[in-house]
Amino acid sequence: MDKINMGKHISGKFNDELEAVRNRVLSMGGLVEQQLHDALLAVQKSDIDLAEKVLTSDHKVNKLEVQIDEECVHIIAKRHPAASDLRLVISIVKTIADLERIGDEAERIAKVAKESFSNDQQQLLVSLENLGQHVLSMLRKVLDAFARMDLESAYGVHQQDEQADRQYEALTRQLMTYMMEDSRSIPKIMDVLWSARSLERIGDRCQNIAEYIIFFVKGKDVRHVSPESMERTVMGKKD
Amino acid sequence: MISVNPGTSNLEKLDLHNLPAEQTALDIKNLNLYYGEEQALYDVSMRIPNNRVTAFIGPSGCGKSTLLRCINRMNDLVEICRIDGEIALHGQNIYDKKVDVAALRRRVGMVFQRPNPFPKSIYENVVYGLRLQGVKDKRILDEAVETSLRGAALWDEVKDRLNASAFSLSGGQQQRVVIARSIAIEPEILLLDEPTSALDPISTLTIEELITELKEKYTVVIVTHNMQQAARVSDQTGFLYMGKLVEYADTDTLFTTPAEKQTEDYITGRYG
Repeated sequence: MDKINMGKHISGKFNDELEAVRNRVLSMGGLVEQQLHDALLAVQKSDIDLAEKVLTSDHKVNKLEVQIDEECVHIIAKRHPAASDLRLVISIVKTIADLERIGDEAERIAKVAKESFSNDQQQLLVSLENLGQHVLSMLRKVLDAFARMDLESAYGVHQQDEQADRQYEALTRQLMTYMMEDSRSIPKIMDVLWSARSLERIGDRCQNIAEYIIFFVKGKDVRHVSPESMERTVMGKKD
Repeated sequence: MISVNPGTSNLEKLDLHNLPAEQTALDIKNLNLYYGEEQALYDVSMRIPNNRVTAFIGPSGCGKSTLLRCINRMNDLVEICRIDGEIALHGQNIYDKKVDVAALRRRVGMVFQRPNPFPKSIYENVVYGLRLQGVKDKRILDEAVETSLRGAALWDEVKDRLNASAFSLSGGQQQRVVIARSIAIEPEILLLDEPTSALDPISTLTIEELITELKEKYTVVIVTHNMQQAARVSDQTGFLYMGKLVEYADTDTLFTTPAEKQTEDYITGRYG
């Protein structure tokens, strides 16, 4: 059961419903990924138009979240999903909540792009770039893992969050040094720090989505368990 | 009989494969059943715990009703039926030659798919088994009627018309009269063979609620086509397919993370 197997229901309509809701999650993921990509680019290039685009696309993400939630409620009410079908619906409901929040974080980052930074301060933004690219790659990978319900790559993304956390800590220390050196720059540095915080949170949410994928595939809840126990679940005999 | 946490709905999960004897109501060991040349059950082994609801699910013809009927030897009535293996009821093999089948069926009551009240009053339906046992004392009979009808969650609805014909009741009420009749003789095990498949949804829920109450006093084994019903009422579920017990686990596990692919395909409604 490590491959997603939605087909073959006796009810073809049930197949269609699950397929439709899953496709919608993938489009929502695509939108959020684009948002984060654009937000990072807007910050890097101080591109106000692009930042505006991120801010205005948020309603599409929100709308999809509501729509998918509604479809999942209908599936639960009418189809009484069991076993892997049930786990799929639950994973979807949880995943889209995290996706929506990732969208919100991207929006926060885009707002920073609208601030005007002096040339001296531009270099602060460069330091965001590394963390940003790492987190964006986590998001891409986790969405890809979700599309294929791929256990190994979900676990890989889960492992990558540690690096995001380390980068975030290093960045925080760096920004604090700047603040001590020049107290007038604190307001701008705070903006950058909040963006870094947003990126760190996005990494955590990618980790959450990876956990839902593991839950779907293995039927085990791996939230709040030790790394060893999670490794046993992932590597262990397939159910 | 030792009851396991009577009266609580959140029972602890049992280790069904290593169930201790004092918690085991029925111990089925290597049961094979043949109708003539046709084998209907293949090497079924399972332990059914006391004071719990155990459900058998599976597609038509998978052997679940056959297995249920083995528990009170209803299959004895089928001439071409042959059984080997063992079913121990509280440690005693019910297929032992010394076992009196009538006495066994007093200990193991059964309720069928279609409500089958006798063409008598509600009162006479309930005391039928007791009268057969020779009980004549009106006080004892009256008391049994009230206790059993209360036990079957029917007392308040019929207490003013106990002498009315059982046929005057609705389907759901008739089924509860039949359950009252079964529990009047205080069996240890109650077998329910599709008890709600002829009933409307509201009566079905009433019976399901009743089943949950019945397990405080009895060990209940239910066969049902309705998977959601099995999920709702049972504590553990056995999935049978083509005469084999494919998986037997606590109901929560079986309906969320079944171990076997056949179980998964059946409960999610996929082609086998």
